Amino acid sequence: MRISEQAKQENRSRILDKAAEIFNSKGFEDSTTRDIALAAGLAAGTLFNYFPSKETLAMTMVSEALVQGREDYLRRCTGREDLAEELFLFVASGLRRLRPLRPFLGPVLERSLSPFPRKNVCHEGETARQEHLAAVQAILVRQGFTEAPDYVAMTMYWSLYLGILAFWSNDTSPNQEASQALIDYSIRMFVQLITGSGAAGGDEHAE
Amino acid sequence: MRSDKIIETELLELLPKDRANDPTGKRLAELLARISMKKIPVNSFSRIWTLGSLQARVTAGYLAYWLRSRFRNADEKQRLKSEAHLAAALQLFGAMGYLRGAVMKVGQMLANLPEVVPEEFAEVLSALHFEAPPMHFAMVREVFLDEFGREPEELFATFDRQAFAAASLGQVHRARLHSGEEVAVKIQYPGIARTIKADLRNLRLLLQPLCLTIDWQDTLAKLADIERMLLMETDYTQEAMFCKLARSAFTAADQVVVPRIYDDYSTARVLTAEYLPGCHINDFLATDPGQGERDHFTRLLTVATYRLYYRLHWLPADPHPGNFIFMPDGRLGLIDFGCTLMLNDEEWIFSNVAIQAALDRDLPGLNRSMARACRFDDPDDMEPDHLEVIRQGFYWFMEPWQQEGLFDFGDRDFFMRGIDNVMEATRKGYTRSLPMTIWSNRFTFGGRAFCYKLKGRCEFRDIYLQESAGVQPNHT
Repeated sequence: MRISEQAKQENRSRILDKAAEIFNSKGFEDSTTRDIALAAGLAAGTLFNYFPSKETLAMTMVSEALVQGREDYLRRCTGREDLAEELFLFVASGLRRLRPLRPFLGPVLERSLSPFPRKNVCHEGETARQEHLAAVQAILVRQGFTEAPDYVAMTMYWSLYLGILAFWSNDTSPNQEASQALIDYSIRMFVQLITGSGAAGGDEHAE
Repeated sequence: MRSDKIIETELLELLPKDRANDPTGKRLAELLARISMKKIPVNSFSRIWTLGSLQARVTAGYLAYWLRSRFRNADEKQRLKSEAHLAAALQLFGAMGYLRGAVMKVGQMLANLPEVVPEEFAEVLSALHFEAPPMHFAMVREVFLDEFGREPEELFATFDRQAFAAASLGQVHRARLHSGEEVAVKIQYPGIARTIKADLRNLRLLLQPLCLTIDWQDTLAKLADIERMLLMETDYTQEAMFCKLARSAFTAADQVVVPRIYDDYSTARVLTAEYLPGCHINDFLATDPGQGERDHFTRLLTVATYRLYYRLHWLPADPHPGNFIFMPDGRLGLIDFGCTLMLNDEEWIFSNVAIQAALDRDLPGLNRSMARACRFDDPDDMEPDHLEVIRQGFYWFMEPWQQEGLFDFGDRDFFMRGIDNVMEATRKGYTRSLPMTIWSNRFTFGGRAFCYKLKGRCEFRDIYLQESAGVQPNHT
């Protein structure tokens, strides 16, 4: 029996909702697609029509959160930000949307965004990476960079970003405030790298 | 940009010299040169400056000199080991971003030794405070989303993107409430408390191998107290409570005003207070005020601080000039109560016993108090010269209390005598003391430096008699 497009969308979002609940309560590693299908009122086989693996399911949530984060960033951006500030706004907006997923995010990101060579590259993870870096490029263009930074600079950016994600997903400080300081410092470092400017921030108070 | 060589030569002149072991100061300069060139281990946002500037190195040099004197008699192997730790500790010290302002100021002062003039000393003392790195607006917005779940522009009718002042471990923005009131919003740098704790833990670890004398306990106790006060400055909820208590201690007739706190717009990390119009001391002095005006504000400042002391048992230990507002209608505004030392009953009694002994000219009693302040059980355990220097310092502190009529805080000789005493005590190594003396000294010298700069006079004794008459008994 064919089901309508609307019913498909409903199933899809129900699966995502239930999966988030189950990942949050049992953790990513201990959750099974069977648990999720059961909770969503579907047969296990039907679930695979929507998401081929648990990893894809989790990474879809991450991607959607990051898309929302990008929308938030664009809405919040006033156009008066300098490079470091705009990058901070972008990264922080994304993390804020990822926050509900934080309890189970560690292993998901490890599997899907690992920079090491793997047999099976996670398609959603790779897309998320490319979209994130494209947004960074767009910020650089808006900030007056005529040439895109080379692969070294972008690899360093991505390494810093992964480092932030890793620290943040394990950050026990209230509201992950330690991560905010880390983002600030990491971005200042990256800006220093690509602009060649000597100041790494904090100089305004110097006498 | 000056070349390193010139800096080295200047540094050599400015550093203290150890007559026996290092008469030219060269070894100390080498130690500093070695660590100032090294990159700092990057593990926190505040690791963003090195001991590169002359001021920072002079400060570190004096610190090294003082710490080194503790292992002067150690054998060569122990000495080398200690030096390695000392170098690491100084490096960390130089990397504590929130201490930068304080380190620079102390360095400026030490760089002028021994020809320091009261004006410079006053300038330095009044400007010492702890600073956090500045935040851009995107970071401020994140703090607001975490604290209130709303953007600053949503919470307030207007909100300035640019901070108008640096504050204790944060910064201050101007804003207006929807109900129309002008406010000053203080925002804390995220995670600063964590950084302070981590830094001080590391500093203690690095300094540990230097613990060769009994004074080590004294150093530890002081470090613990500095940490306690720094962390207290990170708790804006407590500061809000301090502000409200202080506000209730003054009436309109006092002409001293503490801003109202807006609780709905305040949290542990954000503090929203009424904006007080007016200017700070430098702008006030630029208007070339007459003696009457100078005296007026000196009187208000004295009433304010001794009201807080006698009624609430507080030492406002942050005499930063930014914390006093000269209001156009002649009132004095007191802001920022982050660094307020609340004396416990024991400290409060101890403090008053010493004051009373000096007022009664009770020499044995005063000697007992001075010995206790220096952590000795009995005055006879102190070297006579040590006791004499500390007692002279206290007599200097008590001078205004004993003079009838106007006391002139702008008197150069008076101020200079206080400085000379501090210098003498430091030079002779008479620095062992109860931790509370860090703050009482900061309170006394900061306040007097401020009034010296103001060239103001007041009837101090009358104010003391009036305020102590309203004294509160012990808290417990």
